[in-house]
Amino acid sequence: MKHLLASCCAVVLAAFSLILCSCGKEKETLHIYNWGNYMSDDVIAKFEKENDCKIVLDLFDSNESMYAKLKAGAGGYDLVVPSSYTAFMMNEQNMLEHLDHSKIPNVDQYFDKKYSSLSSDKEMAYTVPYFVSFTGIGYNAAKVQDFKPTWKMFERSDLKGRTTLLNDPREVIGCALRAIGIEDVNSTDQAQIDKAVAQAKIWKTQIAKFGVDDAVAALASGEFYLVQNYSGDVLQAAMENPDVRFVIPEEGSTVTFDNFAIMKDSAHKDLAYKFINFIYRPEICAENMNVIQYVTPHKTAVDLVDDELKNNPAFTIPEADFARCVPLRDMGEKNTVFNKAWDRIREE
Amino acid sequence: MKKSSFTNFFLGLPSFVWLVVFYAFPILIVLLLAFRPPDSNGGIGTGWTLQTLRELRNPSYPAIIWRTFWQGLVSTAVCIAVAVPISYQLSRTSSQKLRNTILLLIIVPFWTNFLIRIYAWRIFLHPEGAFKHLLVLIGVIPESTGLLYNQWAVLTVMIYTYIPFAVLPIYAISEKFDFSLMEAAKDLGASSFYAFRKIYLPGISKGIWTAVMVVLIPAFGAYLIPDLVGGSTSELIGDKIAQRVFVDRNLPHASALSALLMLGVFVPLILVSCLRKFQLKNQKKAEFMK
Amino acid sequence: MKKRCNRHSRLPVAITLLTLLFLYLPLVMVAIASFNASKYGGVWTGFSLKWYKALFKSREIWNALTNTLFIAFISTFFSTLLGTLSALALYRSKNRFKAIYHALIYTPLVVPDILMGISMLLLFVTTFSACGTWFQSVFGIELELGMTTIIIAHITFCMSYVAMVVLGRLQEFDHSLVEAAYDLGASGLYTFFHVTLPVILPGVIAGALFAFTLSIDDFVITFFVKGAGDTTLPIYIQSTMRHGSPAILNALSVIFLILTFILVFTTQKLLSNKTETHK
Repeated sequence: MKHLLASCCAVVLAAFSLILCSCGKEKETLHIYNWGNYMSDDVIAKFEKENDCKIVLDLFDSNESMYAKLKAGAGGYDLVVPSSYTAFMMNEQNMLEHLDHSKIPNVDQYFDKKYSSLSSDKEMAYTVPYFVSFTGIGYNAAKVQDFKPTWKMFERSDLKGRTTLLNDPREVIGCALRAIGIEDVNSTDQAQIDKAVAQAKIWKTQIAKFGVDDAVAALASGEFYLVQNYSGDVLQAAMENPDVRFVIPEEGSTVTFDNFAIMKDSAHKDLAYKFINFIYRPEICAENMNVIQYVTPHKTAVDLVDDELKNNPAFTIPEADFARCVPLRDMGEKNTVFNKAWDRIREE
Repeated sequence: MKKSSFTNFFLGLPSFVWLVVFYAFPILIVLLLAFRPPDSNGGIGTGWTLQTLRELRNPSYPAIIWRTFWQGLVSTAVCIAVAVPISYQLSRTSSQKLRNTILLLIIVPFWTNFLIRIYAWRIFLHPEGAFKHLLVLIGVIPESTGLLYNQWAVLTVMIYTYIPFAVLPIYAISEKFDFSLMEAAKDLGASSFYAFRKIYLPGISKGIWTAVMVVLIPAFGAYLIPDLVGGSTSELIGDKIAQRVFVDRNLPHASALSALLMLGVFVPLILVSCLRKFQLKNQKKAEFMK
Repeated sequence: MKKRCNRHSRLPVAITLLTLLFLYLPLVMVAIASFNASKYGGVWTGFSLKWYKALFKSREIWNALTNTLFIAFISTFFSTLLGTLSALALYRSKNRFKAIYHALIYTPLVVPDILMGISMLLLFVTTFSACGTWFQSVFGIELELGMTTIIIAHITFCMSYVAMVVLGRLQEFDHSLVEAAYDLGASGLYTFFHVTLPVILPGVIAGALFAFTLSIDDFVITFFVKGAGDTTLPIYIQSTMRHGSPAILNALSVIFLILTFILVFTTQKLLSNKTETHK
């Protein structure tokens, strides 16, 4: 018995010392909770080298799942990348740090104010915009005959089973609202929502599934021909498959900022500030854009990206298209309207 | 004797406490939360309510529950239907080496990562993949048919993942089965199939029941398979629970749904064990009558 | 030795072979796809080993692998210990209490993963919000989801499997051996270590292996109770499946398969060298 006890204790002690050792030896670590495919590995490596620290990335694929996880008590994240409407809600919940702008001089110097209207946090009190993300249609030009930039494409019967919509209540309902001619993608008017649900249900009979990131990979591999997705993700797929294109439909669409925000309970706030400031360095910002293919609202970095990308209308969105995109906002108590509508869209 | 029950108490205590704290108590929390109102920020409101339970009358649920139910049943039935002949074959294979090899081949997919098994199907059924092209070439399906993202894909992958679960318990019993009984029946003029049905099947019934439980229950709770290979209309209860937690941020509703699922799991479990008891009693009675 | 009869039907053979084909065809396709140069798969764009190279270079995979193994070893150890003890208690106890205890040990086997995950997440979150600040002020440790919560969850769901396997072994064992040892004047502890333990050891080992497999395979429960940056291999696989290049997963699957083959093969050799055990 003594023998057994002793060996038990030894194993437990060994285990704990392993945990302690690994904690003691490690460099300062920045935990970032980010969207998938949303930050260049090289940029991360550069930051790690420069600051002698370690970055640990956790990935999510929708604002909702990220928020639910944080709200449920998943602590330990320093930097998160919510969309504006979710950041607003997180701030209401007192989850986000109020930013000290003296620690992020690059942001104040380089932020391009023409994008300010997209954010509900115009003063950048608790968020710093990272990327502008347009929702639109990604398609495979080799497979889709006579493509037209309209949401009606999702009703085309020859594409049945080869299309996807985002697995995201706000995006699907928002775009359905635009498709039926309603400007306000944040409408909670029941009659309008009902119409949008009816529209989305028509699309649903045609699509293969509701998907997010995997839909883009599938677009590149020729599995899907037409997907509702975010601009940069589709462009990433286009790098692999030259037939892949992105457009913003003529009925209009949604747009949002994805923002850096520092968690209130973060233990590495200074490192998080440094990271935000680092991303706003023009050459770093451009390098990141070249890989991730989204636009950062940065005054000078946009001029530094590769010409091919710069001249792509899916990257540098034309003014006219931009004007047709409406930012999603948090609707507080009324968010349940979207959840209920989503249930009805998903049901048979 | 007294001393023995005393040691017993201490042997059982750690696991008992552990399971009460980390298993029974949390399950109780789940049940209780179903009676709390949600708040719109994803938290749990104060006070008590029956509203959440009333919301279970959501018109979309019957279809989902029905699909969960029949897919669970069908996949279990197929798994058992396949596992019984395999176990039969395995236990009749005289070469120990061959038997071990086949067993090994069946276990390996069971030990590989669950996600990888699902993922393999996404590659296999890929619309640009070789399998699809082959089917189109020999004219089984037209070019436009998608193999993935429908409930048949979900069903296939469920069966694929659970087959080893069904084979192991059935084989474990079948291996100990005395095949001379079957030979005797055949010598007395019974057909092979008759002997199989009347002697072999009752002989391995314990293994079959275990297999049914081991397959049916995870099938009821499945949520990753429909999420990864299912389409826009192949949601199961598990997916709904995940959606309530991760999309709607409505924990009470997720709890109510979980309670429903738990009910759906425990009722067949109790039913099966009662049935078994009844069967055993009858058997004993029959033996006694003889 | 039983005499084999030639009369029996070919149907079971056919089903066995078809099932094996069914089990392996998708895996073979994955193995082939792992040499495809294309990042997103689909069309064949040429033979390449680059995904294997990327796999061995990837820091995240190694990190995920160490996390997985660390969690698996610790939770296997504790779940085997607790599970074996509970099997012994269950085997020997005869009072009314036994039914409750029995239910407590067995029901975790049949509770769906997602339920287990949610309930534990709720437990941790409720506990943390209820006494997190108190705990921090007294012990100076902040309570949060992390490796510890993952390990607790893994121990909980592995324990019942171990108990089940060990109990199965105990029920086959001839209790008169223990009686004999007592009659010869051996103490309880002596009997345990020299009679009971050697007999149930194959069961304990099989249970531990089972627990280990369950632990390294678990995605659902881990996903619920994990904290920031606690990436295990299944978590990594899921996230790569969704966000990253699926091509690297093909290579990972092949490596995984080969490793499993080796592992299963050696354990089977080891076990068959001792006594025959199932599960």
